[in-house]
Amino acid sequence: MEPLQNAQRLNHLVLAVGRNADRTAFKELFDHFAPRVKGYLMRLGAGAAVAEDIAQDVMLTLWRKAVQFDPGKASASTWVFTIARNLRIDAIRKERRPEFDADDPTLSPANERSSDENLDWAKAEERLRGALVMLPREQAQVIELSFLADKPHSAIAAELGLPLGTVKSRIRLAMAQLRSAPGERS
Amino acid sequence: MTIMHHPGDELLLGYALGSSSEPVALLIATHLSFCAICRAAVRDIEAAGGAMLSDFEPTAMNARALQSVLSRLDDKVPGAAQPAAVSGDVPMVLRAYVGDEFAKARWIAVAPGLAHMPLLTRGSTRARLIRAKPGAAVSTHSHRGEELTLVLTGSYRDETGVYRPGDVQSTTPEIMHRPVAEAGPVCINLAVTDAPLVFENLLPSLIGRFFGF
Repeated sequence: MEPLQNAQRLNHLVLAVGRNADRTAFKELFDHFAPRVKGYLMRLGAGAAVAEDIAQDVMLTLWRKAVQFDPGKASASTWVFTIARNLRIDAIRKERRPEFDADDPTLSPANERSSDENLDWAKAEERLRGALVMLPREQAQVIELSFLADKPHSAIAAELGLPLGTVKSRIRLAMAQLRSAPGERS
Repeated sequence: MTIMHHPGDELLLGYALGSSSEPVALLIATHLSFCAICRAAVRDIEAAGGAMLSDFEPTAMNARALQSVLSRLDDKVPGAAQPAAVSGDVPMVLRAYVGDEFAKARWIAVAPGLAHMPLLTRGSTRARLIRAKPGAAVSTHSHRGEELTLVLTGSYRDETGVYRPGDVQSTTPEIMHRPVAEAGPVCINLAVTDAPLVFENLLPSLIGRFFGF
């Protein structure tokens, strides 16, 4: 299946789980995501047994939170990625994951509201996939290391034998390519 | 209100991909509560994370994994925590660390007009609140490591400019500065440091060491 169709299909499957507690849809999501989440966690240094447990918990969380899934805020893959990221921080690092509140009533009027956060994320993900492939090697390397190493950028700089400023500027250049074009936001 | 000073892209990347330590993540999450521009950037990075996850090489799950998960789908889960009361002036994301009201936080006086409240330490990285009454100054200092300061209320000024609610100042070891709270509401900042401050003079240095600045 083409990646875009695949991303849209995954969105529909999560919506089916949320609306109808659809177990057939859940099994397909499990087959797609669980082995990838397990692989991702093992690359980040988790042992196979721990990665297996967390991957199963990610799928359970997907089942329980599918009602809250909103394809206007994230694609299914992105949503599962954030679940896996948070469970990993909780289970392996034993740290709390501070989550922002975009509608925090205590910050009004300092809080900047945005009306433009609805986006076709399945399409955006497809564009991002292209943008990631097109990144110059040295920029792709720092993004990949950020994704796959549980390390701050200072440790990544030390590992690559680069000055911190060089790593920061490569990240800045890469991010400029990955940011959505204004036209993508509805 | 327009936020003029944003955290660096590398900090947004670390937050979105989950590699930043809890004190830094706390500061970034609080900035995001103020800043729609950086929220959009974090969503884009998370989407890149989603794309990378979807393309990740699968590792086989245990043979009975699906059965095991299916058998647990109907387990009762503890009810979600009730949303915190809206009363109070502490941003929601900070309440687990600070409580609901700044006035009731466990402030420790450090100097006239100046108080702080340690929040958490992970390795050598520490997060604290700093409260400065208008006109109060932190003595001239530099940093052994990096320091991030997020303004929560009021404002302060140093050699580099004025910082208002939502603004993040990043200082590196070569910067020597003397932040002074501006007139108006009391200035409360969230500060994250990865090494102790270095004071220009001996006395604040001793006080700083004593109070853990």
